[in-house]
Formats: sequence, structure tokens, C-alpha cells
Amino acid sequence: MKISVRDAGSIKIVDVQGDVDMGTSPDLRKVLLATLPETTRLALNLEAIRYIDSSGIATLIEVLKRSQGLKKEFVLFGLRPAVENVFQLTHVIKLFQVFKSEQEAVGAS
Amino acid sequence: MSAKVRGTISRTIMGANGLELRFVMKSDPRYLQVVRGAVGSLAAAIGWDESDCMAITMALDEALANVIRHAYHNRRDGEVELMCRESAEGLEAILSDRGEAPDQSKICARKPGSDTQGGLGTHIIRDVMDTVTYENSPAGNRLILTKRFQKTI
Repeated sequence: MKISVRDAGSIKIVDVQGDVDMGTSPDLRKVLLATLPETTRLALNLEAIRYIDSSGIATLIEVLKRSQGLKKEFVLFGLRPAVENVFQLTHVIKLFQVFKSEQEAVGAS
Repeated sequence: MSAKVRGTISRTIMGANGLELRFVMKSDPRYLQVVRGAVGSLAAAIGWDESDCMAITMALDEALANVIRHAYHNRRDGEVELMCRESAEGLEAILSDRGEAPDQSKICARKPGSDTQGGLGTHIIRDVMDTVTYENSPAGNRLILTKRFQKTI
């Protein structure tokens, strides 16, 4: 799994590539929690994620809760059907602000 | 497979009466990706559509992750065996380990839509598969999962 962080105007975008599972989700958690205090809105780009398991979903829920505590926004964009299936099976899709594209995720700020 | 991954995977593609796949591996999470690829392909070969193949793959992936996490407490040197085979009704999977036996009173699926982090994997397993059976014996733990063709998820 590859993770990188970039700026898009006033927000931070985290790009992830590969599979997020119990072996790799701790790395994603570390980056998301470290980046969150540095911005008012953190957007996670899921476009290049092939698979996400329950530990990955749990990580996203943890970051969402942390963002709410810090009065920040944590949003997702670029969900592919395989990833969206996991969100639907775990019934967590409604917890998150989800955008189709980066443009929408950035523009909504 | 990466040369960095230690362990052995043995696979048998064709069982006596249908397709069969068997993995013998260490409790190393790097095997998860390997198993996902093979299980998805097996489900497709048995006849499930793409959506069901993804769901079955997720359920078995979560079951294997639970063994690594709970039976072996994230140790990477435990022994795990996963057997998946075509049955008359669909698919049967048996996951065996020699780690700590699960406390069945503590196995709980998360409530749909809640924002709690635990129990997501168990929820996926129970949602996707038709039967989920735990067995404990002095020889170790077994989780038996079945999925019939007719269930719609």
C-alpha cells in the first residue's frame, strides 16, 4: 500500500493505493491522524484502493470521530464499486460525507 | 508471492468431486492478499457472479483476519489452514488453527449503521454466509462456513 499527502487549496488530500487490510491499515491510521490537525478539511482519495476490510473501515470511523472532536471535516471521495460494497455491507456509508470526485470534495469546503 | 513472505502455501485446485482449494500458511497478514485473490477466483469458477465473489472473498478474509487477531494475538508464526470446496449446494470453507479458542459468548456482530469499530468483521461474515459454525477440540479450533447458491445478499 502506498500513501501520500498533498495540498489542494486550503485542504489536505491523502491518496492511498493498494489494499487496506489488517496488515496495512495501521500505516493509514498513522498518516490520517497525523495529518488531521494540520487542516480544516481532510479528504481521503479511495480511487486507487482495490480492497478495504473491516479494520480499514474501523480506522476511518476512528478518524471521523477524532475529526468531530477537533471540529474538523473528514470526507471521502472516489469510491470504486468493490470498496463501496464493503461500506454497504457494514452499513457505515451514511456516517461519512462521500463525494464522487476530488473536485466535488474540494469544492464543497 | 514476494520472497519476503515466509511460509508455505500448498494448493489443490481440483478436489475429488469438484473444485477444492487448500492453503496451509502462517498467521502472517501478508497472506491475506494472496488468499483473497485465490478465493475470489474459486468462487467465480464455481459459478457466482462478481458481486457474490467479492462478498465471499470479504467474508473469508475477515474470518482469516479474526484468526490472526484473536487466536494468535497478531503473532505471525501460528499455523492456519483454509480449505474451500465446491459442495452440492454451493461452497464450504473450513478454517483451522491451533491458537487460543474463541470465547463464543464474546463473539458479537456490530449493529448495522452504528459507529462502533468492533464486530464489523463478524457482521460481514454472518451477513454473507448462510451458516457459521465454531468447533473447539484439543486439536484446535475450526470455523465452518457455508454459502448456498440461492441466497441473495
